[in-house]
Amino acid sequence: MELAVDLKRSLSNECTSLSLSALVWQDVLAQAMTGELVAAMNFTALSEICDHPAEVADALEHAQNEKGHAAAFAAEGRKIGVEVPSNVEAKHWKRIREAFQRRITERDFIGCLIVQEIMLESFAVASYARVGKVAAGSLGKTFASIAAEEEEHIGHAMAILRAERALDAQRFDDKLYRLHLEVMTILAEMLARDCSRGHCEVCHDSCVKPSLSEICLTTAELRGASLQQYLKTLDMLGLPGEVTLVWVTQLPV
Amino acid sequence: MGDSVASVDSPGRTTDVDFALVGHQESWRAAADVLGVLRGPERTPLPDDEIRDILPWIPPRAVCHVDVGSIAGAKARGLYIDSFISPDRLEADYIRENIARVRAAAACAIRAGAKIVSLGGFSSILIEGNFDQLPERHETVFTTGNTLTVGFIVQGIEKMCALEGRDLRRSTLLIVGATGDVGSGCARCLAPLVRRVLLSARNVDRLRRLAAELEADGVEVEVATPLQQFSAQADIVICAASLASPSLLLGRIAPDAIVCDAGYPKNLSPNAEIPGARVFFGGLGQITGGLRFTPDFHGVLNRHPFPDVVQGCLLEGMALALERRFEPFSQGRGFITQERVDEIEAIAARHGIRLAPLYNADGPLWPAQATIGSALGSRESASISSTDFTG
Ligand SMILES: NC(=O)C1=CN([C@@H]2O[C@H](COP(=O)(O)OP(=O)(O)OC[C@H]3O[C@@H](n4cnc5c(N)ncnc54)[C@H](OP(=O)(O)O)[C@@H]3O)[C@@H](O)[C@H]2O)C=CC1
Ligand SMILES: [Fe+2]
Ligand SMILES: [Fe+2]
Repeated sequence: MELAVDLKRSLSNECTSLSLSALVWQDVLAQAMTGELVAAMNFTALSEICDHPAEVADALEHAQNEKGHAAAFAAEGRKIGVEVPSNVEAKHWKRIREAFQRRITERDFIGCLIVQEIMLESFAVASYARVGKVAAGSLGKTFASIAAEEEEHIGHAMAILRAERALDAQRFDDKLYRLHLEVMTILAEMLARDCSRGHCEVCHDSCVKPSLSEICLTTAELRGASLQQYLKTLDMLGLPGEVTLVWVTQLPV
Repeated sequence: MGDSVASVDSPGRTTDVDFALVGHQESWRAAADVLGVLRGPERTPLPDDEIRDILPWIPPRAVCHVDVGSIAGAKARGLYIDSFISPDRLEADYIRENIARVRAAAACAIRAGAKIVSLGGFSSILIEGNFDQLPERHETVFTTGNTLTVGFIVQGIEKMCALEGRDLRRSTLLIVGATGDVGSGCARCLAPLVRRVLLSARNVDRLRRLAAELEADGVEVEVATPLQQFSAQADIVICAASLASPSLLLGRIAPDAIVCDAGYPKNLSPNAEIPGARVFFGGLGQITGGLRFTPDFHGVLNRHPFPDVVQGCLLEGMALALERRFEPFSQGRGFITQERVDEIEAIAARHGIRLAPLYNADGPLWPAQATIGSALGSRESASISSTDFTG
């Protein structure tokens, strides 16, 4: 169910010509590409703490997929005449990598899946899908198809996480909440309307957020769609909806 | 519990409740207050523009637990589920999205094991004409709650007439939204008690059908779509149209007319100039056996100047839960009769659910009523709430 659809918006898929807004697209692609490279690093790290060869292979395959996504975004940039930079050391992304790395140090496989597949992928699936709707031609198709692939990742992880929650729901929910405070707070700051903590270190010049309207997007819609996807994913895991609603309303804005 | 997920292991688990109430917020102010409670007083409140950005994206879900007590000693546990329909998205343009939201809210109620669900405000659309819109139901039954709403509207009119010294039998009654479930129920109950009935809505065929039904019982009835034709003739007006916002202008109206606004959102426009008219908000009841929200949403989910006041439609589900009568009491459109109203009123009364003190946008209608209400409500009833349900 796609909630909160803007009826007028959905009538026109294309908003502006790609060349006119190439610099905005460059920043959007840079954020997406950075996210993919972070995901690739996360899966590579995950492969090192897996016990079973099958899990190792799975994590490495995921890492490879994410690198493929990053390459696809870079290629889309070249098609519209921009070089897409990336920066996995940019401050928000760095904090996210560090949070993930702490789970690796603890050899916390489940914690890793929660951060990558529930939190980061909710954000990726929802925002790529929105971008896919407004971007013209192959750029739009690439965002939409990567969103669909990311959704498949979530499906795979969900089965493992549901089984884990079935063992001890209370312990699972407590763990998820701690990770929520750590990671979703960073994502919420990334998606906040204003960058109160200074430059994100990914955008080429000033922050892209105020310019998103040039490509028919808003920060509010990217954040709203991401949080909606996150809540729905937590619902599917079986967490009580009234509890996760409180978590989300308490995030920074 | 430290910094753990306090709310996860508190009474917050959504399992096996007697009833569920499905609703949505009538205004942005109300929505902001709900999010404010969830966010907690220690955090900076969300700015209004953030709330408008966030609300449309929240998937339907439970917001709080509701415990209700009966004066006869029974208790029932329930959930309030918000469909998070935005206050500015009630128009026809959003119908598909809104039906999807109400369906998702109904699915939450089913998952929580609710035995009966009251569909408040706009939500009743799901079972007024579209039974097939309900998700797979299992053991859960649904009611629009419109029968008890009609009961409280009629009681309110009778109380107003008594207090104002009016003779109902000599009155001309105008119903706006007359062919709706609530409007037609009011028409059936009040037509035999008044001198003349005026019915108004947009669809004239449906108006004629209702008029024919009432005339068969010997009632003098007239129908009209343009309201202005009628309003000056009426000395009692019930506004029960399903409007997306308070936008009804009654036009020229008898100076001392009694006007009941039963809409949710309200029907009457704040700009409606009806000098001298005695306006009250209808369809509201009061719980006297104790009401508790966990977390505490008192005065936020039920924003009335008297304690423990709730809309009739939601009270119907609560009354049936206290009675352990888990049946779809009100379904479909146009089936509300005096007999059904009597039946649900008797059930509600047994459990101490009665007509709420009357009020309007300016506050309580009679100061004496306010004193009685608050004496009962804020002290006695509040202490019932806290003693009855703790432990
Ligand atoms: N106070 C309470 O506790 C409760 C309040 N309500 C409220 O009562 C109202 C009616 O509910 P319900 O009977 O279920 O709704 P229905 O949809 O069954 O009926 C709506 C009625 O309003 C009429 N109407 C709709 N739009 C207009 C318009 N622009 N001008 C004049 N008439 C109009 C419709 O006829 P037509 O389409 O021909 O115009 C119909 O007669 C709603 O606002 C609802 O939220 C409901 C339950 C409880
Ligand atoms: Fe990816
Ligand atoms: Fe991925």
